[in-house]
Amino acid sequence: MVTSPLRRVLGLFANQQFILLLVLVAVMVYFDVHNGRFFSVAEFQNLVVDLSAAALVAVAELFVIVSGGIDLSVGSTIAVSGVIGAQAIVHLQSHHFGELPSLLVGTIVCTGVGGVVGALNAVLITKANLVPFVATLVTLSAGAGLALFFSQGAQIGYDPVAATWSSTGFWIFTWQALIVLVIVGVLGLVLHFTSYGRYNYAIGSNPFAARAAGINVNRHVASVYVMSGMLAGLTGMFFYIRIGGGAPQTGIGTELEAIAAVVIGGASLVGGVGLISGTILGVAILTVVTDGLVFINVSTYWNQVVVAGFIAVAAILQTVSPGTRKR
Amino acid sequence: MSSEKEPILELRHISKSYGSVRALSDVSFKAYAGEVIGLVGDNGAGKSSLIKTISGVHSPDEGEIFVDGVQRHWKSPHDSMAAGIETLYQDSGLAPDLTIGANIFLGREVKRRGPLGRLGFLDQRAMERRALVELDKVGITVPPSKRTVSQLSGGQRQAVAIGRAVMWAKHVIILDEPTNHLGARQSQEVLKVIRAAREQGICVLFISHTLPHVLEVTDRIIVLRLGRVVRDSLTTDYTVESLLGTITGLNT
Amino acid sequence: MKSRSMRFVQGAAVASTLAASIFTFVGGSAVANAASKKYTVAYVVGAASDPFFLSMRVGATAEANKLGISLVWQGNPSVYSAATQIPIVQNLLATKPNALVLAPTDTKALQPLVAQYVAKKIPVFNVDSGDANQANITSWVTGNNVQGGQAAADALASAMGYAKNCSASNKCVVAIGVSSITTSTDAARLKGFAQELKAKYPNIKALNPIVSNSQPTVASSGFKQALAANKVSGIFAIDGTDLEGASQAIVASGAAGKNIKVVGYDAYATTIASMKAGKISAIISQQPALEGKDIIDAVYAKLTGKGGIKHLNTLANIVLTPANCAKLCSTYVYKTA
Repeated sequence: MVTSPLRRVLGLFANQQFILLLVLVAVMVYFDVHNGRFFSVAEFQNLVVDLSAAALVAVAELFVIVSGGIDLSVGSTIAVSGVIGAQAIVHLQSHHFGELPSLLVGTIVCTGVGGVVGALNAVLITKANLVPFVATLVTLSAGAGLALFFSQGAQIGYDPVAATWSSTGFWIFTWQALIVLVIVGVLGLVLHFTSYGRYNYAIGSNPFAARAAGINVNRHVASVYVMSGMLAGLTGMFFYIRIGGGAPQTGIGTELEAIAAVVIGGASLVGGVGLISGTILGVAILTVVTDGLVFINVSTYWNQVVVAGFIAVAAILQTVSPGTRKR
Repeated sequence: MSSEKEPILELRHISKSYGSVRALSDVSFKAYAGEVIGLVGDNGAGKSSLIKTISGVHSPDEGEIFVDGVQRHWKSPHDSMAAGIETLYQDSGLAPDLTIGANIFLGREVKRRGPLGRLGFLDQRAMERRALVELDKVGITVPPSKRTVSQLSGGQRQAVAIGRAVMWAKHVIILDEPTNHLGARQSQEVLKVIRAAREQGICVLFISHTLPHVLEVTDRIIVLRLGRVVRDSLTTDYTVESLLGTITGLNT
Repeated sequence: MKSRSMRFVQGAAVASTLAASIFTFVGGSAVANAASKKYTVAYVVGAASDPFFLSMRVGATAEANKLGISLVWQGNPSVYSAATQIPIVQNLLATKPNALVLAPTDTKALQPLVAQYVAKKIPVFNVDSGDANQANITSWVTGNNVQGGQAAADALASAMGYAKNCSASNKCVVAIGVSSITTSTDAARLKGFAQELKAKYPNIKALNPIVSNSQPTVASSGFKQALAANKVSGIFAIDGTDLEGASQAIVASGAAGKNIKVVGYDAYATTIASMKAGKISAIISQQPALEGKDIIDAVYAKLTGKGGIKHLNTLANIVLTPANCAKLCSTYVYKTA
């Protein structure tokens, strides 16, 4: 087939990923026009920190949504794992553990707690046959309550050394961002190039066909929720490092931001459709908008309205874009 | 092709009850390679119980199943698939968001060679290419593209689903209402694939309510009523009227 | 395969056992010591897990135990809103307490319920926040939030070296972090802060408030944005969670954060540690434990008829600084247990 250059350019515009990229660049230019400090190493450092904090749960949410489910519990999981991880770190440091070893143990604890919450979701969905929305609503509430219970409402720990690490790294990349980059890269390969990823799409697209093809649907679905929990737990650890402690309010509402990023990135909430590049672009747009509005001194209240606008536009794009399925 | 005398699938005295409901009683029949068999009956006649028994979704209370002369006991649908029986259920079909190649190889993915393959990385190009070749063998021509199945017509989609079953079945494919919800021309595409499967020496069990399709494509028709085989004759022995009468039990 | 009804019965059994054990676990401690005391007082706070209210509970409980009063302590764990508070207050009415102490989450929304209590001859007291119409309220103990905001402005201006560093041509920029603009206490502090800037420090320019919804990480991210976008030299954090976020933003900003002065509310153990580490210049501390103690004293006076009752009892805010911390911090830190 021969494609004329004009056609190719028009084809790019039909590609939702390309539109997202244009939007991202346009928004950033807009902020820089209003305040010339936007394109600076300092600000990009901030953006990368916030982006990496949001990226893991968004990618986890993408896996869940592509498999035909939804995970509302990631926000609470961040809170409860951060609080329990902080308690572990406080305990270790009171026994004269060094900063790095205690943080490494804290990371394992946080990821583990997240994995436990994810496993609970998995049991509720695959054994008790609850729909994912209800199952993760249960753990959302329980997690938020447990975070308050374990912390008695107050931030656990005071760890200014850890807090300084949240901004150290290489150029605009903090250590945290580099770790996130590696994890997201690996998960992207898994989703798009391996049989695990293929099964994820198949199950979200038609679970009956997947089961008939010999795929162990329940085991796969369970693994997706466990992974989502573990990534939320790891994010809880990142937040510990950012504020030097575990606070029970941390992460509340993150699930909606993650779902918004996935939807803006072009994934379908009924499952089977979605790209990791779209989700990362979605996270980037949300982060840049949220941060940029503060940057140009607009009241934060407008934030949610603007985000709502982006979700609406993305959803409409999805229905008119030729490359996506209509049901 | 195997000898005419040796059935590829044989059921002997199969019975199955759900609680107090007797779904199948003493069902026996033989099916041969390269034969298309119609399985008809009114609602509740035991068609789906029979399919589920053959494909290993559940095991019979009594009776024996032989495939290629060997007695089999299914513990799960995997066992029947491994023995060369593919089943296409009404609701299973294909995953609409995956490409044709991805659907054809779903659950049997071709991995890359070397260490990447051991990590689960797929050889997507090989799968897409082989899918087109295999579909072509059963008379299905689809354009080579990365399009998803959702962009195919209903008939093409069903043809691809059957082509998939034909490709993986060594002995038997079971088709549950494959022409349901399809238009006349689209149904013909499906029937064409069934004939191609017969040419390849596969035994096709064709379950349908659409009697003209059954009469058109099958070699033999087995009629079930209230869980029993009431008639098992060559298709040429039936007319639409006599078939209908046998199904409803109004004339025998 | 199990039948549907079997599954249902099993599910119902598991669910009811679970529910019963949760109620036993949660309710057991509250019910246990209610019987022997002479008076039962319902005490409804804004957000039960806030260290401010936790600290208030310490003060109130100690005083109640001394006076032979049994406290029924209630409040939504974390949501500070009238929508969650009204049903709690409504349900407690049926238990017929001898008095109600209430920290209303809205200046008007709770008034009809308060009237119902008064109609049943149950005296109602306000603590921390208050109803707009005080006619039905026996006594109100509160911190002075407008004054607190003013004190914060004074402390911040002095820490920034206002006279030396800020001028009409080179205004100093201050970032403000709040949890929610609609909460009466946040609004009052913000008002006091703005009034004081206008009156005494015209060369300070305040940015639009950053809203954190009580999440330190959100506050920290917002402050970092403000620091990157503007030449900020001071931060006012309206409560403890925002103050935690502010001190972290300073740490994360490295060298650039060194010259930024932070003043904020609430003497949490963590914020005091930050002040000792030089990240915070002053902390406006309320006296929640004292508020709790004073309101219980007022309740006791009303119930026994002994002693006088002041209608409005405004407690001063304490400004903690590195200079007076050695002397005062251990007294005023919010003790949560």
